[in-house]
Amino acid sequence: MTTFDRAALDALPIAPGATGAIRERAFGQFEALPTPSSETEEWRYTDLSDFSLDFVPHMPGHDGGAPAPETGGLAASMIQHNSSVVMTTSGQDLDARGVIFCDLDVAAEKYPHLVEPHLHALVPTDRTRFTALHGAFRTGGTFLYVPADVAVEMPLQTLTYLDADGAAVFPHTLLVAERGAEVTFIDRYASPDLGRGLSDAIVEIVVGDGAHVRYASIQEWGAGVTHLAVQRATVGRDADFRSLAVGFGASLSRAEAETVLAEPGGFSEMLGVFFADDDQHFDHRSVQDHVAPNCTSDLLYKGALRDESRAVFSGWVHVRPGAQKTDAMQTSRNIVLSERAKADAIPNLEIEANDVRCGHAASVGPVEEETLFYLQSRGIPRDEAERLVVTGFFQEVLDRVTLEEVRHGAELAIQEELRRAI
Amino acid sequence: MVISQEEHLKELSKDYRFDWKDESHSVFEPKRGLSKAVVEEISGLKNEPDWMRKRRLKALEHFDARPMPWWGADLSDIDFANIFYFIRSTEKMAANWEDLPEDIKGTWDKLGIPEAEKKYLGGVSAQYESEVVYHKIKKELDDIGVLFTDMDSALRDYPDLVKEHFGTIIPSNDNKFAALNTAVWSGGSFIYVPPGVQVDIPLQAYFRINAENMGQFERTLIIADEGSYVHYVEGCSAPIYSSDSLHSAVVEIKAMKGARVRYTTIQNWSTNVYNLVTKRAAAYEGAVMEWVDGNIGSKVTMKYPSIYLLGQGARGEILSVAFAGKGMHTDAGGKAIHAAPYTTSVINSKSVSKDGGRTGYRGLVRVEPDAHHAKSTVRCDALILDDESRSDTYPYIEVEDETASLGHEATVSKVGDDQLFYLMSRGLSEAEATAMIVNGFIEPITRELPMEYAVELNRLIELQMEGSVG
Repeated sequence: MTTFDRAALDALPIAPGATGAIRERAFGQFEALPTPSSETEEWRYTDLSDFSLDFVPHMPGHDGGAPAPETGGLAASMIQHNSSVVMTTSGQDLDARGVIFCDLDVAAEKYPHLVEPHLHALVPTDRTRFTALHGAFRTGGTFLYVPADVAVEMPLQTLTYLDADGAAVFPHTLLVAERGAEVTFIDRYASPDLGRGLSDAIVEIVVGDGAHVRYASIQEWGAGVTHLAVQRATVGRDADFRSLAVGFGASLSRAEAETVLAEPGGFSEMLGVFFADDDQHFDHRSVQDHVAPNCTSDLLYKGALRDESRAVFSGWVHVRPGAQKTDAMQTSRNIVLSERAKADAIPNLEIEANDVRCGHAASVGPVEEETLFYLQSRGIPRDEAERLVVTGFFQEVLDRVTLEEVRHGAELAIQEELRRAI
Repeated sequence: MVISQEEHLKELSKDYRFDWKDESHSVFEPKRGLSKAVVEEISGLKNEPDWMRKRRLKALEHFDARPMPWWGADLSDIDFANIFYFIRSTEKMAANWEDLPEDIKGTWDKLGIPEAEKKYLGGVSAQYESEVVYHKIKKELDDIGVLFTDMDSALRDYPDLVKEHFGTIIPSNDNKFAALNTAVWSGGSFIYVPPGVQVDIPLQAYFRINAENMGQFERTLIIADEGSYVHYVEGCSAPIYSSDSLHSAVVEIKAMKGARVRYTTIQNWSTNVYNLVTKRAAAYEGAVMEWVDGNIGSKVTMKYPSIYLLGQGARGEILSVAFAGKGMHTDAGGKAIHAAPYTTSVINSKSVSKDGGRTGYRGLVRVEPDAHHAKSTVRCDALILDDESRSDTYPYIEVEDETASLGHEATVSKVGDDQLFYLMSRGLSEAEATAMIVNGFIEPITRELPMEYAVELNRLIELQMEGSVG
């Protein structure tokens, strides 16, 4: 059953500009598309055939409804509470340099020429039933636009906070960095533990020629939340894109991260750390799509699993015909901390050019009992020893995060998660 | 570009030296297409027991009911109605090469089988179209109770053994092509090695397709009883035609407690054969199962030899070489299912693609709950020789036990310019240099082959490299 019907659609706040047409089209697609079947390769590890779409379709937020995040070290920040953007801070300096950072719906009204060419261009609404649902019911979201040759030194951040039990949110980030621009953006998702909740998220990132974009997502949804996310970035000529995904929360999280190396000389780094416990189910999917020659991509995902959790990593490296001199690497490492946890890894390669360097590596294994024993023999309690080992395991990823604010934020989130879980 | 059929055939047959055709030898008029009547006829001609006839008919239902695989290679051009499902070439199986019709004997002479038998084989089975036409086992092996015969004779001579094991490792409904094989199987080998017996010279089977649009469905069952050892080697070839043939075998192996089985394949079908094979082994306590799988020919190969590690301490090893040239898609790989504690597996895959060929490694390593202290490593290396060719790697790793330790690594690369330059500066041609590098690349696998096969594989690779490089 679903509560996402015509009446609910008609009850949404008016969609500005072109988003009205997107909303209508997406609703039609949502009604027509089937729930993805676990019979298909893409969904074989996440079965949503019995997933009920019985959620409050729209839950207005209010100012002060979300805990104010720490904003030190940030150039600007935004808060979305449930379905509404409730606060945006933006420095004078950013406005003066032409940087736009605001509610996506506001942007669709005020800057249609900047929003329309990109909204749902990388992640079309008809990709799946869930992206269609997103296209139909999204309100709020983040628009970040950086004009050519403008460098924003400090990161910008959006916190999406959900606290209404049984509600759905549709976080959307549309980030456009023009030629030669530089920017860092952080998406944070958080909620208390809920009976049920749905986060149906889309992130679209356009990295212009010669631009440098860093993107981090920190997912700390509470228990009860189902997080279905699609992130897709396209990288221009001689541009670089570095992303970090930190995943701790939600009962079920299925996160797809895709980078298209569309023009020669592009670089993509995709880092991920995740920690699963209780009966959490994580399904991470990645794509490194080398369309143009002379591009480099490097992916490293590390995960630790405890209790009865389950984590799947499936990655794809595509090297398209003509994408010569590609250098692509894909690594998935998993440690399993308890006997009922399950980890799967499927690092795929599809290579249609010959002058390439491609590799992948995957491993799944236990924490070495000797390591724990050594730490314990030095008087460190077992829990603390386990925390140390996991921290060390993740450190390889964090060491590659160059921006201090981002790394520090991720480290804090990891420490908090480990203290809670172990 | 429109090319004539002759040109097409010429193109296909380039460098393939097994391209000769004998006159048709069917002892009755063969029919195309698959139906209940065809299945009944095959079973009737073989005078089979009723349980086998019923098993075949049930399998035909499974085959009809199952969809074509949606993954892997493109199989949409297979015309099941145009295939001959059964051709009997001789009235009686020979135990002496001289008793075969002249040109069938000529085929085996050209393949060098009688020569090899004399020199280093413990037994030979030679299948021509649907049935084994020559069969012989060394007397010493016969004397110590080693059974090595064709599957049809085994069903007649050892009905209880066959009934006990047939279809227990690969049920008829396992996949569409296993169902097809179960419905129309004919020929193949049956081997039983008694407890403690070490068969230290290889047993060999050779499979030859002669007719156009032939469907060959051999069925092999190997049982290595406790503490025994056997090495089975198979080879295959076919002439080149302008329309396609189908080879769909089922191979079932049981390596009982402490036994060791090595199964070596050098597959060199012509490039109009669809090679869709299901091979699976069960390894019990302390047993060792090894697949050495060389796929050099055929138009399409889909083959993933599997090992179910069912007893504590069992070990599995899969060595796979795949080659794909023009118009070929070789989708090979392997599976290791760890279902008992302290089991280990090693999968080592090497693939080479050139002239628009496509090679793939598709594999699964799975650790079942309670299969504690399982260990597995998978290594895949691919070499792509030109910019039209393609290589895919699809490794599945599924772990349900925390003490398991699994690793997978893969690399894809081209022949290094510096390596080529070095060899060419020593006077080798580009083709020779490339062949030398490729042979070095697959060496970890050729060194596991019996000497004669290693030489053959290297020669095949050299032939494949000739002419088109540079």
